Amino acid sequence: MTTATTVAVPATGQSGPPRAGGSEAGPEPIIRVQNLSLWYGPVQALKNVSMEIRPRRVTAIIGPSGCGKSTFLKTLNRMISFVPSVRTEGRVLVDNEDILAPHIDLVALRSYVGMVFQKPNPFPKSIFENVAFGPRLRGIHDRARLAEIVERSLRQAALWDEVKDRLNHPALYLSGGQQQRLCIARALAVDPQIILMDEPASALDPAATAKLEDLLQQLENDYTVIIVTHNMQQAARVSAETAFFLDGELIEFDATDRIFTQPRDPRTEAYVTGRFG
Amino acid sequence: MTGRPSFQRQLEELQRDMVAMGTRVEEVIQQAVTALLDRDQETARQIIAGDDYFDQRELELERRCLSLVALQQPVASDLRLLGAALKIITDLERMADHAQAIAKSTLRLGTEPFIKPLIDIPLMARLARGMVHDALTAYISQNEALARQMIARDEELDRLYKQVFHDLLEFMVEDRRTIPQASQLLFIAAHLERIGDHATNIGEWVIYMITGVRSLMNN
Repeated sequence: MTTATTVAVPATGQSGPPRAGGSEAGPEPIIRVQNLSLWYGPVQALKNVSMEIRPRRVTAIIGPSGCGKSTFLKTLNRMISFVPSVRTEGRVLVDNEDILAPHIDLVALRSYVGMVFQKPNPFPKSIFENVAFGPRLRGIHDRARLAEIVERSLRQAALWDEVKDRLNHPALYLSGGQQQRLCIARALAVDPQIILMDEPASALDPAATAKLEDLLQQLENDYTVIIVTHNMQQAARVSAETAFFLDGELIEFDATDRIFTQPRDPRTEAYVTGRFG
Repeated sequence: MTGRPSFQRQLEELQRDMVAMGTRVEEVIQQAVTALLDRDQETARQIIAGDDYFDQRELELERRCLSLVALQQPVASDLRLLGAALKIITDLERMADHAQAIAKSTLRLGTEPFIKPLIDIPLMARLARGMVHDALTAYISQNEALARQMIARDEELDRLYKQVFHDLLEFMVEDRRTIPQASQLLFIAAHLERIGDHATNIGEWVIYMITGVRSLMNN
């Protein structure tokens, strides 16, 4: 895995794996998941999932608890490899490189595919140091260069105006919503192309949630965002495409508008209308 | 249907009350045409006075639809049901307006004998009322085939309207003294034709509600 910022163009045209939006022409996928199955020990959590995620848009993943959506998300940057008993089959191509292959550089992968978690988890350091942490790890030590990265990242995370006068304050003094945006800034500081978010607003109040959702729509201009959420209205508001998982299977993947107005599969219909799950 | 029983109940009540309004619309169309044929001025006056009922129902049902959208955030088939309901309510109220307009023409026609026996207008009325009835049945029973079959009948209504139009035009050309009566009868035929169009609209919304596909069939 390299940190190249260009999206590789595949050699051949597409066929087969579900790509939201049907046959509509668009940018080539940045992620291609091909026949992905995953087991925790004897328990199968993902069943033959194939989907293609296109760059620079928000893709939402919805489904009831235990459907495999978080597992799927954590597979996309190999966070899942922290679980010792995990076994996978199939391929996950990020820019045409199989990230499930053994030789993959996980540090580089996780810079390229950043992650934001359910609960804000800033380091017990200053606001500045939280954002500068990743770039420092990557060997950037020039103070001016770091300051530049910190400002850019905080601006992109829509936090700069709120913290620019107190960059040396402890990050833990920030409100929950600010902490979550700080975590997004921290992910952005290492130049990712893809940002994974696992229930990023579930610990936030409505005002902080609204800010975060607004931010997601801005990030879409530059980044590929994949968000797992229990909140279907949030998925409807922020995403261009929505995937519905059930019992480890990808049931339906389509334009969000389609999923919430006329889903094709009766199981999707039952879930989005709240008749089960 | 296990989840959200209270929401489901409110949707069912809404549909039930819409059909109750629709049944009253059917009745008032029938009454308006009967009053015309019987030269029954008293009934015509009652129809005009009763229009307030439909206006009130329209406002009340609309308000309930919008509340459900705001409070329950419906999606997929629930959203289509409510979207269709909002439009259908308007069509129902418009149909009642046309019935009232027929009653107004009946008053203007007075009790003077008709220039010719009315044949096609009662035929149009029967057809229009049947379409309204089937539109409501298709709505409540989610019957796409019935909706399509009902919409197809609108062509016959249009054909009858054109025929009435030409017949009455001939009367007016031949004898100017028929103009006051013939023009009122022409309005009445046009109202019946419009009622058929509103029934067609309802049918199209029923098809959308069931299939998710919005297409304009007639008009």
